[in-house]
Amino acid sequence: MDTFRRHLHSARIALPAVAAILLAACGSSSSAGSGLGTGDLLVGVLAPFSGPDANLGPAYYAACLAAQPEINNHGAVGGRKISCQKFDTRGEPADATPAASQMVASNSNLMAVVGCTSDEASAVAPIVDRAHIPMFCMTGQSEFNKTKLQYFHRLVPADIFDAYAMVGWVQYGPNHPTWNKVALVFGDDIGSQSFVQPATNALQHFGKTVKNFPIHLGASSFRTEVTSMLAFQPDVIFTEALGSAGTYLGEVKELNGGKTIPFVGTSATIDPAWFKDVTSTISVDDVVNNYRGVDLGYTFSGTAYDEFNANLQAAAATFADAPKYKQRGSTLHLYDGIIMTALAMLATNSADPKVYNSKIKEIANGVSGATDVHTYKEGMDAINAGKSIRYVGAGGQNNFDEYNNSQSGYILVKYDAQGGEVQVAMLTTAQTKALSDAGGI
Amino acid sequence: MSILIAAFGFGLVSASVIALAAVGFTMQFGITNMINLAYGEVMIASAYVAYYVDQRGVSIWIAMLIGAAFGAVFSFLINRLIYAPFQRKGTALLGMVIVSLAVSLMIANIMLPIVGYFAVSYNERFSTLLRFGALALTVNQIAIFALAGAIMVAIHALLRYTRLGKAMRATAANPALARNCGIPTQRVIDAVWLITGALCGLAGVVAALDSDSFTISSGAGFLITALAAAVLGGAGQPYGAMIGAVVIGLITEMSAAVWSPDYKQVVAFAILVVVMVLRPQGLLARRGAAAAAG
Repeated sequence: MDTFRRHLHSARIALPAVAAILLAACGSSSSAGSGLGTGDLLVGVLAPFSGPDANLGPAYYAACLAAQPEINNHGAVGGRKISCQKFDTRGEPADATPAASQMVASNSNLMAVVGCTSDEASAVAPIVDRAHIPMFCMTGQSEFNKTKLQYFHRLVPADIFDAYAMVGWVQYGPNHPTWNKVALVFGDDIGSQSFVQPATNALQHFGKTVKNFPIHLGASSFRTEVTSMLAFQPDVIFTEALGSAGTYLGEVKELNGGKTIPFVGTSATIDPAWFKDVTSTISVDDVVNNYRGVDLGYTFSGTAYDEFNANLQAAAATFADAPKYKQRGSTLHLYDGIIMTALAMLATNSADPKVYNSKIKEIANGVSGATDVHTYKEGMDAINAGKSIRYVGAGGQNNFDEYNNSQSGYILVKYDAQGGEVQVAMLTTAQTKALSDAGGI
Repeated sequence: MSILIAAFGFGLVSASVIALAAVGFTMQFGITNMINLAYGEVMIASAYVAYYVDQRGVSIWIAMLIGAAFGAVFSFLINRLIYAPFQRKGTALLGMVIVSLAVSLMIANIMLPIVGYFAVSYNERFSTLLRFGALALTVNQIAIFALAGAIMVAIHALLRYTRLGKAMRATAANPALARNCGIPTQRVIDAVWLITGALCGLAGVVAALDSDSFTISSGAGFLITALAAAVLGGAGQPYGAMIGAVVIGLITEMSAAVWSPDYKQVVAFAILVVVMVLRPQGLLARRGAAAAAG
């Protein structure tokens, strides 16, 4: 009997202790509040992986897969490893909305979201913002130029700046004859047509003749549209036509006596999928000789880029196409976005997005006296040493404005025969201002 | 004026492509009572089969036959393994539409990791451009036009003058009565799936050849135009589908020339809506007839 009482007494003492330990353990697994918590963290890649823009999602997924070892192999985020998960929007708001809702509802360990293209950003950004998850969106839509969404970040310029840079090719680009007549060939959707007005304004300001020839992206043929465009006898075509450029330019060549007209592409055309699409109909030589493009001023070199590239090559074990995105601007930027988010969590010692979100901008822009860091490890070491940091990543310096839009200068580029980007010139600050003033938007 | 003539030529080529797809689609529905929303995906799968054959140095015209054979076998198997068991259980027409939608999504998602998301094109995508005044057509386009014409004549001959065609029409009109009259309806239905599947495969390769390049996502676009032509002509009516294809093919191109490419889909589908309001059974079908192909 005494033995039983002793056991009962021991249990009365032990049970609350066990309960306390269990509660403590549960508490530490929570990601809310102060402390970095425990358990894996998730980066949601919210983008089209099927549908007409299925080529976009993989570029963003590659960014996440490259960031994953960069963070996980260097202590992770306070020991919490990150993983990447695809959430397919199919490039349609109707599919994107439930995908985004499901993503935020089912994953309490979501640390950041990357992707959200122009196809679905308007639909998904408010959902992600309401969930207080930092997001890095690849949209050029002007509605985000002065967004009120606090968790929205954009590391690429608005489409209008792409349009100005394309006009920059006409005005300042080297090694081409004078182009006086410009045909604008963009999709007839709102997003694609956002290039048209600023380009038209700027070109007309410089005395050029411009005509808009919208096309319905995804159509199986554009021969009537091409015939109409050829009747205009343009010197150069401005285009993007994601998913339809191959068909359109193939039909241009076919109906133009086998000759390709010079064409200038947006920064989105610096993309392996676009290169493959176009070279599948017109030849690689045609693209090398007639294509001009614009892009943000990447160096594709330096510590940050080398680290990114090494991680991207390693990501081929998970995603065989990953190395193809080594010169894709969006892949570089989203990689940087994930690294900056992880560093912001370290710097605030918090897994609560309400705490670390504002730190992302500080780490991107830097504060007075901040130490420049180029890798996650450099950033972590500097933070542990009590320093303020500025992350200058694979995509170069960032400069977020009050609306979390980051801008940088443009370069004029071409393709080489392997689909690699070749820088031809850089637009100077004065040229950029002249173009922007000419556009007047 | 010259742009109108050019658009007329392009419209005829588009009509040829649409007709090949729409006739197969509408025959499937008319005879087997199956609205097969996986049709577009079978088209694109056949186009990829022809692509892989073409990449091995085989002429696209031979590859086209292989694509058609693939479409025939694939469609036959889809019916035998998926649709027929549901139909035997008495699944309603709407339920079968959902099943076919599921099959469509399954095919698309199974194909994606296999073929990738990059655009591809056939080796013979370019051919000599011939000009007849303002009309400009390539040799490939003229061949597509001739091929579609020959296939339409063959379909007409099949339905009108062969025992199989008559059995198909009888099965479409009243399957139970046809069976009681000694027609082996199951074999007839199998033959329908093989023939319409071959048309589907052929249409996929032709559409992919005509559009210079194609991707995994092209199937949805193919289905929409085939569906529109079939509905416009009268569901289940092969001749109606041919007329529907000509109307949609010509209107989309001509409206792009006259107004703006922005409106070419709008105009085509506005006409479809108007016809549906004025003549719900379509241009050729008798009211309520989902049968009597031909």
